[in-house]
Amino acid sequence: MFERLLQVVASRWFRLVLVALLVLSLQTTLFSEIRFFGYSVQLMAIFVAVAGGVHDVRVGAIVGLVSGLMYDAVLATPLGISGLVLGATGAGTALVLQSFREPTWWLRILVMSATAALSEIVMPLTKAVVGLGGWLSPRMFVVSLVTFIGGLVLAAPFIPVSRWTLREQVSLGRR
Amino acid sequence: MAQNKTNLTRAVILLALASVFFITLDLGDSSSTSRVRRVFDTVFSPVENVARVVTRPVSGAWNSFRNYDDVVAENDRLKEQVALQEGAAVAAAASVRLSQELLALNGLPTLAGINSVTAQVIGETPTNFSQTVEINQGANSGIKVGMPVLNAAGLIGKVTEVFSDRALVMLLSDPDYALSVKVVTKSSRTPVTLPPLPTEDAPTVDSVLETTETSTTSSTTTTTTTILGFTPSATTVPAEVVAGGGSNITVPIASQLSVRETGILEGRGPGTRPIVRFLDASTRADAIEVGAPIVSAGGSRSLAPPDIVIGVVSRVVERLGTAGPVLEIELVADLSNLSFLRVLLYQPITESGK
Repeated sequence: MFERLLQVVASRWFRLVLVALLVLSLQTTLFSEIRFFGYSVQLMAIFVAVAGGVHDVRVGAIVGLVSGLMYDAVLATPLGISGLVLGATGAGTALVLQSFREPTWWLRILVMSATAALSEIVMPLTKAVVGLGGWLSPRMFVVSLVTFIGGLVLAAPFIPVSRWTLREQVSLGRR
Repeated sequence: MAQNKTNLTRAVILLALASVFFITLDLGDSSSTSRVRRVFDTVFSPVENVARVVTRPVSGAWNSFRNYDDVVAENDRLKEQVALQEGAAVAAAASVRLSQELLALNGLPTLAGINSVTAQVIGETPTNFSQTVEINQGANSGIKVGMPVLNAAGLIGKVTEVFSDRALVMLLSDPDYALSVKVVTKSSRTPVTLPPLPTEDAPTVDSVLETTETSTTSSTTTTTTTILGFTPSATTVPAEVVAGGGSNITVPIASQLSVRETGILEGRGPGTRPIVRFLDASTRADAIEVGAPIVSAGGSRSLAPPDIVIGVVSRVVERLGTAGPVLEIELVADLSNLSFLRVLLYQPITESGK
């Protein structure tokens, strides 16, 4: 029983939930106050895009879906919308980077920032699809630009965080 | 390795289906999604509180760097405005008291009869696609989903999510917000003004006190106002006698009172003024003046009690055909600068049980 519990705690998905909680808390506190042109940088989208860029399509999608569901739980938007959008963001980043043979570090960061920014355009589109219209306006391009610039700055520090979080095996001391 | 990939694929499909399932539940107003949110809030709230404390110096430094000049300028402007408003506030308070007494006398609902909870804004929405603020009062203070929220200026929105000690308030500017409102339009009739009574014909206070019969005389004072649509007609004070002072007497007749059009106010996102639509098609655009006040309509199915000030008409857009005019509204409350709010403990019938 205890062994099983240790396995769960040591799993990368448990670490993902803990790290996503921390990122989410930064999103709802610091990054909801620090605004550029009145818009907040979407830290969650950048975190998901980095996870997709560092790992593969499946891991990117899972990170996006889990982080998105957590994000929805603190927002007033329907539960699941951010999950779908961020899931697509994580998978999309991995797919785009797979099309390059050996992407350089700056290309990775560029792609991660671009897909994170794209999620800010997909979000109002998804909301419109489920009947929550009113957000499709030219402002979403400015919102997207803010997240893109934020991504250029924040993607690099997120890479080691994402690598550590989603590492497959972690030794629990000496065996 | 292949087994691991299959497991991951299954997890992706499962999570995607769960997301679609939750969206369907949430759009169907299911209470189970609220329960999921409350459970998550129990876990997330301590983490968020710690993050708030840790990041406060950074956000404080950012705000002081970004807003210092604006705050100083605004402070000067507000000092001047406070000085100007002090006199008007006393007169307005007297009018409000009188209005509430009259409404109470006639058995009509007033805001004075509704309890409220004062709350402070502790956070803005972290996303760019929702117009909400977080307040520091929740279910423990009696707050429920659907309750209207005001600041000192007027209505600002409604409660959409309630946790034990905090709540989310959807602002009027959110595209998902809609509320039935009244537009106070100008009267089409010319006011009737009677000439003053000759001083010798008017009863004096002494003569009235000497009479044994009960008599009631109405004195009417004409007031001036800068609010368009509110005809400066009459404030009637019962059982008070005024000897003819040479001033004209304005007789309040029904046809002279302001006309009220009803419509639906809808938010249109940040930076864009809300609109009022579904006005009666027979309403002529020129019957509604720019500057006419907009107040909540009230009624059994309304989201807010009647006569809460919302804003003034800033533009009237006439439409062709049978569609009535659309009004652009300038809100009286500054939604970008909210601090202390008042939650009216009034849960609309349409939101009960949430």
